[in-house]
Amino acid sequence: MACAGPPNGRRPASGVDAAISLKGRVWLAAALLCAAGACTREQKAEPARVPASPALPAAAGPRASVALDAEDGQWTMPAKSYSAARYSQLGEITADNVKNLRPAWTFSTSVLRGHEEPPIIVNNTMYILTPFPNILYALDLTKQGAPKKWQYEPKPQSEAQGVACCDVVNRGPSYADGKIVFNTLDNNVVAVDAATGKELWKTRVGDINTGETMTMAPLVVKNKVLVGNSGGEMGVRGWLKALDLASGKVLWTAYSTGPDDEMLIGSRFKPFYPKDQGKNLGVTTWQGEQWKIGGGTVWGWLSYDPQSNLVFYGTANPGPWNPDQRPGDNKFTSSLVARDADNGEAVWAFQMSPHDMHDYDGVNESILLDVPWKGQTRHALIHPDRNGYVYLMDRTNGEVLYAEPFVHITTSRRVNVSNGSLEYVPEKKPRVGEVVRDICPASPGGKDWQPSSFSPRTGLVYIPHQNLCEDEEGLEANYISGTPYVGMNVRMYAGPGGMRGRLTAWDPIAGRAAWAIEESFPVWSGTVVTAGDVVFYGTMDGWFKAVDARNGHPLWQYKTGSGIIGQPVTYRGPDGKQYVAVMSGVGGWAGAIVAGNLDPRDSTAALGFAAAMKDLPDATQKGGTLYVFSLP
Amino acid sequence: MLQDGLRGALNQSALEPAGPQAAKVTHLWWFALAIATTVYLLTMGALWWAAHRARQRELRGEAAVGPEAEQGMTRGVTYSIAATIVILLIFLVTDLSVGRTLSPVPSKHPLTIELTGHQWWWEVTYADTSPHGRFTTANEIHVPVGEPVLFVLQAQDVIHSFWVPNLAGKKDLIPGYTQSMWFQADTAGLYRGQCAEFCGLQHAKMALHVVAESKADYQRWVDQQRGTAAIPTDSAARRGREIFLTGTCAMCHSIEGTSAGSHAGPDLTHLASRRTIAAGTLPNTRGALGGWVVDPQRIKPGVRMPPNMLKPQDLDALLTYLQSLK
Amino acid sequence: MRRLSTVRAVSFAVASFLFATSVAGCRREERRFRESPPSATPTTVRVSALQPGTMQDTTHARNPYENNAYAQSEGQRLFGWYNCAGCHANGGGGMGPPLMDDQWIYGSSPENIYTTIIQGRPNGMPSFAGKIPTTQVWQLVTYVRSLSAQNSTGARSSRTDHMMMYPGSSSLQDPEKPKNSFRPPASEMP
Repeated sequence: MACAGPPNGRRPASGVDAAISLKGRVWLAAALLCAAGACTREQKAEPARVPASPALPAAAGPRASVALDAEDGQWTMPAKSYSAARYSQLGEITADNVKNLRPAWTFSTSVLRGHEEPPIIVNNTMYILTPFPNILYALDLTKQGAPKKWQYEPKPQSEAQGVACCDVVNRGPSYADGKIVFNTLDNNVVAVDAATGKELWKTRVGDINTGETMTMAPLVVKNKVLVGNSGGEMGVRGWLKALDLASGKVLWTAYSTGPDDEMLIGSRFKPFYPKDQGKNLGVTTWQGEQWKIGGGTVWGWLSYDPQSNLVFYGTANPGPWNPDQRPGDNKFTSSLVARDADNGEAVWAFQMSPHDMHDYDGVNESILLDVPWKGQTRHALIHPDRNGYVYLMDRTNGEVLYAEPFVHITTSRRVNVSNGSLEYVPEKKPRVGEVVRDICPASPGGKDWQPSSFSPRTGLVYIPHQNLCEDEEGLEANYISGTPYVGMNVRMYAGPGGMRGRLTAWDPIAGRAAWAIEESFPVWSGTVVTAGDVVFYGTMDGWFKAVDARNGHPLWQYKTGSGIIGQPVTYRGPDGKQYVAVMSGVGGWAGAIVAGNLDPRDSTAALGFAAAMKDLPDATQKGGTLYVFSLP
Repeated sequence: MLQDGLRGALNQSALEPAGPQAAKVTHLWWFALAIATTVYLLTMGALWWAAHRARQRELRGEAAVGPEAEQGMTRGVTYSIAATIVILLIFLVTDLSVGRTLSPVPSKHPLTIELTGHQWWWEVTYADTSPHGRFTTANEIHVPVGEPVLFVLQAQDVIHSFWVPNLAGKKDLIPGYTQSMWFQADTAGLYRGQCAEFCGLQHAKMALHVVAESKADYQRWVDQQRGTAAIPTDSAARRGREIFLTGTCAMCHSIEGTSAGSHAGPDLTHLASRRTIAAGTLPNTRGALGGWVVDPQRIKPGVRMPPNMLKPQDLDALLTYLQSLK
Repeated sequence: MRRLSTVRAVSFAVASFLFATSVAGCRREERRFRESPPSATPTTVRVSALQPGTMQDTTHARNPYENNAYAQSEGQRLFGWYNCAGCHANGGGGMGPPLMDDQWIYGSSPENIYTTIIQGRPNGMPSFAGKIPTTQVWQLVTYVRSLSAQNSTGARSSRTDHMMMYPGSSSLQDPEKPKNSFRPPASEMP
């Protein structure tokens, strides 16, 4: 895109020289052309920086609604509710008094890697699951200072650290039926008694020697624990498994690639778009047996609709990153899938990025909303995807209502809603032996795993995300089980405007941003929004921030000891007060340069992310502390 | 595998064309030879005649070069230049017409083969309308007789050149740049080709074979190549597979249907169906294969494959397995 | 006469100089395809500088390819082939620690790196014993050491054709520049 100016931020010669030199004249002409309006695409994608006035409602027009549980002041699963709204009905902390928020107490996890997990609060006990070695702490909230009740150590294999692509994180445990269930890095699903910390069962579901690890937060639906694997960069075949909550036995496995019977595709499977319809697409859209090492792992978020009894989740990127080694559409990687929660049968699937070329996983969260749409109420889901588009889809059948960009995109022109296809830009296809530049969004996408939240009061979806572009160079990848299977040199850098992070408040019905806040670093933390109209999020240099949910006005911030990439939560303590809690401890893919002591002189370190985060080690250190805040 | 009607591994020669491209090239060659010979004879004849006449004059006592020599010089130069231009024009026209015949593929959906040059072997991938119909092999190409075959040429590391003299001229495989060419084999047979651009230590031993066969035979071969590797039935072959997968082999070679998926070296899924190994250097026999596996550096020093010190019984089992990969 | 002898002397000196420099490069450019028998495997390799009692001399196994240009470039090729680059990137690290800085968890001497590759390490380095022949391990050792400029810069390839911050991955290190013990502020980063 010539509008962004010379690539990589290099500026043309100074004003006088530009007027004289031919090169300068060329750039001047290009700049004038751009100014003349050649860049409508950018204007659509860039959200307004100026927030609306506080008196107006945040989302004009009819609001979406979301299914919420009765507010009990607890936080029993990372997404708070099956609809994944991450909305708290607690209203003690409001936009007016949040400026008085101060730390109530803290807790050190004794682990210094990336802390992506949220604390879970059930029955006046707070549970914290650390990154590797996945220690589970139980803190007694009834006593002052929340002393530790017990800790459970699953002692995962230390070698698992060598096959985890993006720091040894864990995205949290879930509570159900008196048990805390969680995944360990070395592919164990564990259930622990919530009161005593005794291990109830531990089931191994994967093998690190194939490159598998587990980092996602399980979802417990009725009596089943739903878990998925990680390892799309290791040539792992993705799956979703259901384990029995009482015994830990594996009940069913739904693969993301392969023949229909292994993908649990049967007569009930009715994808909305013809491109996703057919028999054994999990085999025929791959060369030979590449679907066996094809990726499509399930390391992200699961949502559940009790009305239809459907589980919604996304599958990750196909492997290797070098697309020429896996010709075909590569189904069903980078897809959204809806399955029956009881037997795992597939009901519909929609592939967002066929034959993905830039590591655009489909694993981001889907918030289940009911939206007024063209005179009807549709049971929908909203899904901000890695490929840069926010998808609003009918969750009963997989129809795309809209797909609008929320970041600057050069890799595709648009999503064709009539047939569901993503119209790629051929010049941005990576090639072996060549460097393709200015690929936006970069591989972490418009947004990565960090989850959004939705407020039924404002009607807005609060999306924490990044603004990054990259250069890619294809390489031939060799599949050797247990080693990386990538085939790409990547170098990332800030996208247009130079600010690498953003918190976008998205109007789900209008299909555009209402306002946005820009941050220097990618906003890699989750968000939580409350009935007090406050949105909480953290930045990678350690600031925990509160902004007004209606208009984005900054209200309060606190500098914690390390960068924040965790999911903030809010709960009611035994004393009746509202508390806000978040983990502080930088890492994850974005923070790997700090968590892994990487060397930024190699711009391809951390799959290219280190190049975009060269200044992070100046801004923060490793850490591992829980911060809990309340009003005085 | 050679039947009656197939010519044997015939002379790898550009003067024995078996297809229209090679035929055009051969005709061009003969044409050039004819012109060159004529010009040579005429020039040598004129030179001899001039020398002879000068000698005769000397014998008669006159000056060797006569007074009309000055005009004769001008005339001679004019004739030479004119003749040169005429000959060059003839070549230009011939060249353009041959080029026009060689370039476009006379078929809407030709059989397409993606050829990637490596140091020092050929990766051959047969394309297909559906990704699932694609398959990869190495160093041996089968084509149906009488049908144009389109080659998409790429290189992995340095510049190589694809040359099967009986079938077509040379076309370079350049890293980072995709080219294409096509040829058609009109006569069934086994044709040897080789790399025609110096590409390193073992450039001389980077050969390949093209087998032109009937449509039925070709289809049979394709169906066989599309399948996954044969599953070993006897214990020796099973042991051989275990050695392959747990040892050094699987770090570089792939066998469809097993966990070996590395593309550093040639695909071995149907190794036993090939006529030669090591890019046409050795026949595909148990002894040659054994010698190659144990010490490829003795045969092709500098090749990417390291020596493998295997215990004798392990080598035996491995060879049994490799020879079962039909 | 004197002039002629001066000329002769000078040309002799120049010729000897050229001969000497060309011969000096021979060892560096030597290519040995078949090591027979395979290069020695180290016996006592210490990963700790502590020894109880009086210190013994530590035997350093010789890296047969130290400063050999062909081995270093083969090591670079194998570094990509065997997916070392998948975890260590081009020296900057990722899943695995960086190899181009001066922090070595398990030792930076050739035999330490050799045993790290062969034995694997508990926190995620796989064990390549039986998967890669000894000569190739030594080639990888040579390349890995070159990433942190621990061996001769003369053996380095002048360029690679890959997308790097600097041309030539093994010339990322300038021996005169400090090796990362002091990390300059980001604004001064290249």
